[in-house]
Amino acid sequence: MADRGTIGTTVILLILGWASAIMLAPTTPASASELVIYSGRKESAIKPVVDLFERKTGAKAVLKIGKTSGLANEILQERRRPRADIFIATEAGVCEFLAREGALDPYAPPRARPIPPEYKSSKGFWTGISGRARVILYNTGLVKNEEVPGSVLDLADPKWNGKIAIARTLERTTLSWLGAVVHVLGEAKAKAYIDGLLRNGLKVLPDNSDVWRGVGSGEFALGLTNSPNYHLALKAGLPVGVVYPDQGPSGMGSLVNPNAVAIVKGARHLVLARRFVDFILSQEAQAILVRHAFEIPLVSGMDAGEVRPLSSFKSLKLSQERLADLEERTIRLFPGF
Amino acid sequence: MRSGTAKGNTEHAASGETFVFRRPTIGVLTPVAALGAAFIILLTASPLLNLFVAALATGSRGLSSLLSGSVPTLLAKTLLLATLATLWALLLGVPPAWILTRTDLPGRRLFRVLGLLPLAIPPYIGALTYITLLGPVGPVNKAYQAMGGSGQLVNIYGLWGGVLVLGLFTYPYILLLAGSALESSNPAMEEAARAAGHGPMGIFVRVTLPLLRPSLLAGSLLVFLYALSDFAAVSFLRVTTFTTEIYHQLNTRFDQRGAAALSAVLVLLTLLVLVAQRKNLGRRSFVQRRSGAKPPTVYPLGRWKVPALICTYLVLGGSVFLPIALLLYQAGSAATIFQTLASGHRYLWNSLWTAAVAATVATVLALFVAYLIDRRKGPVGLLLTAATQLGYAIPGTVLGLSLILLYNTYVPWIYGTAAMVVLGYLLRYLPQAVQGSAAALSQVDPNLEEAARGLGRSSWQALREVTIPLIRPGMVAGWMLVFISSIKELAATLLLRPAGFDTLPVRIWIATIEVDFAVAASTSLILIATTALPLFLIKRLDSGISQLD
Repeated sequence: MADRGTIGTTVILLILGWASAIMLAPTTPASASELVIYSGRKESAIKPVVDLFERKTGAKAVLKIGKTSGLANEILQERRRPRADIFIATEAGVCEFLAREGALDPYAPPRARPIPPEYKSSKGFWTGISGRARVILYNTGLVKNEEVPGSVLDLADPKWNGKIAIARTLERTTLSWLGAVVHVLGEAKAKAYIDGLLRNGLKVLPDNSDVWRGVGSGEFALGLTNSPNYHLALKAGLPVGVVYPDQGPSGMGSLVNPNAVAIVKGARHLVLARRFVDFILSQEAQAILVRHAFEIPLVSGMDAGEVRPLSSFKSLKLSQERLADLEERTIRLFPGF
Repeated sequence: MRSGTAKGNTEHAASGETFVFRRPTIGVLTPVAALGAAFIILLTASPLLNLFVAALATGSRGLSSLLSGSVPTLLAKTLLLATLATLWALLLGVPPAWILTRTDLPGRRLFRVLGLLPLAIPPYIGALTYITLLGPVGPVNKAYQAMGGSGQLVNIYGLWGGVLVLGLFTYPYILLLAGSALESSNPAMEEAARAAGHGPMGIFVRVTLPLLRPSLLAGSLLVFLYALSDFAAVSFLRVTTFTTEIYHQLNTRFDQRGAAALSAVLVLLTLLVLVAQRKNLGRRSFVQRRSGAKPPTVYPLGRWKVPALICTYLVLGGSVFLPIALLLYQAGSAATIFQTLASGHRYLWNSLWTAAVAATVATVLALFVAYLIDRRKGPVGLLLTAATQLGYAIPGTVLGLSLILLYNTYVPWIYGTAAMVVLGYLLRYLPQAVQGSAAALSQVDPNLEEAARGLGRSSWQALREVTIPLIRPGMVAGWMLVFISSIKELAATLLLRPAGFDTLPVRIWIATIEVDFAVAASTSLILIATTALPLFLIKRLDSGISQLD
């Protein structure tokens, strides 16, 4: 019997060996004094900001880049023992959702005062750090500038049959846009409008990069997507143009989705987290964040560079709270997305 | 000479006293072994339990949403995709497995290693390759339109694109397991068939194929379950499956319970597939005795040499050369690759050690599990099978979230370290190691161990000196499968890695969202090369050891 025990013992020893090997392995877990930042924003945009913050304050910060929705799910799962201090989201609706779930800590940074109310939480749960407008992207080889419809409501025209692309609601900016359509038109008219688009062969793609690449490559003539994607397509050398829709006197304006920063409830480094939120709204951090990623500045006095500033077009005034209220209905209304 | 015996139920009942781990008494499980089994079950079943608890918590609302709406259709679609992908992978994997082990095809050793390389290429990269080539504005459709064709010659998006890509990048599961079985099978049985007047085809159908069945089933199962759980490739190819729907629930609604309920359906589906596999194996299973002294028969190809070569090159071309050529083109220059390597060597190291640790632990655990399952029918074996196999079908993101909740709550000192990443790999891919070891073990006659024990060896010595050498190809195959799957894992890693700990696939993902194709392609090439290196080393080491024997 002893030798049979040997097999088992070996297994146990191996398991223990494994466990201890992992414990001792050279990993880089966040130490007690490091600010932990979960960021849905791209590394190239946020890393320089974090580096600058470290240099300015002498504090240490570690960064976890992921998908905004994935990180939000993670924050929800970690609620009993929060790991993140800061959450940076590419879409404010996610922050509004987390706030309603009680996963965020309110903080109203002084620098956020000039930011329009649509782009920050009224209770201070999150603050917009930059914006992206909902635009119509077009392929200049397939469509002339004057042919591009000036309103999203004209996209059901048969001449665009099968030529328009949009991302699924897996991209939450699409979900906000649908919510905005419901808000502006009312449920019945919104349903009729979107069904009209779908009947007209609107192609629903997995994500926004499929949309701008598809329009850039000529697979589609038009795409409903976010303003930075126009600049990304240009940078990639693709033949694209952009229209900010519904700008007329009676038009609804273009929806602007804010990127947002929030403090996680139960953050272990609350003071440092607040300093970081203050810092990300400073001119020097904003300059990096906005210019690098073709985002629209939300704080006043920022040079927008090649991007159209907030003041240069008509935006839809719609709060994230209202959008969050509409969310479940919107999802139910458009099962095809 | 009895070279094969049918392992029937009568034998089980009659021989209970003589076989290791096969006694009908519970005493077979020494306390330590029982503890080991309990540990493995706890390790692997806890996220499953967590999942089912969450799924049940959805209550009637969740259930009604499951039964109504698009779920049944979606399930049918997903099953169709997985079935077609498995058939396609069998078609791609079985002929090369035979040609490369049993014929005198020139360069077959190299081909056998190259044939495994598609596993090193993450299917999402394969998907992007075929979208670039066969997409609506890809060179193939452009050329077709230039020649006067209207519309598209091929449409890569949708079900058939998904089948094409999933099959192309998973057939090595079948090649690897079937190849190992062909290599370690007893040539005497084929010789007997030849003596009885059968030609090569007749021998293949009547002798080789039945012997291959456990490995083919195991390989098909890996492909089928992979197809069920894949997200990235099918999502790029615009196929809607169960898994894409789960992501939809998680990402737009943050409905973790809804996602859990949908995942539970996948788990139950896996359970059905596994039960079917066990039934199928139990009904007619063969064991064979092999001394290891005699290599398998090699058939001269003769005039079939050129067709066999063309066939091999076609399969390799579509699954290895084409994607790598495209990546090289996108990377631009060798300088980009070296720069990426220089600035990102720690990601390489992170990937290497986490995957190697996961593969090693999985192999050891799998041997233990496979041994218990094979030699001891009963509730413990069944429980172990279920616990170690079912996790494979859970999409990486769902498994990741489940592990976060469990470990952050109950063992917070593990959570937040890289051990979580290893754990994620282990739970996702342990089934591959178990399948590898179990398929190999089912080919070994327990009488051999009994004979060794009869000659005065202890059980441990019998295992070490008789069984392990015989199933070593299967164990090595299992190690490689887990290593390769782990090193390219993305979904769970994204969630489970501690802040500041990135692996190569994470860097590929980050470069992709940065629209930095050169870095994405360079990192992909580094990942593929990193995976290929152990493949070559192990193949060489293994053949070296075989020759020493």
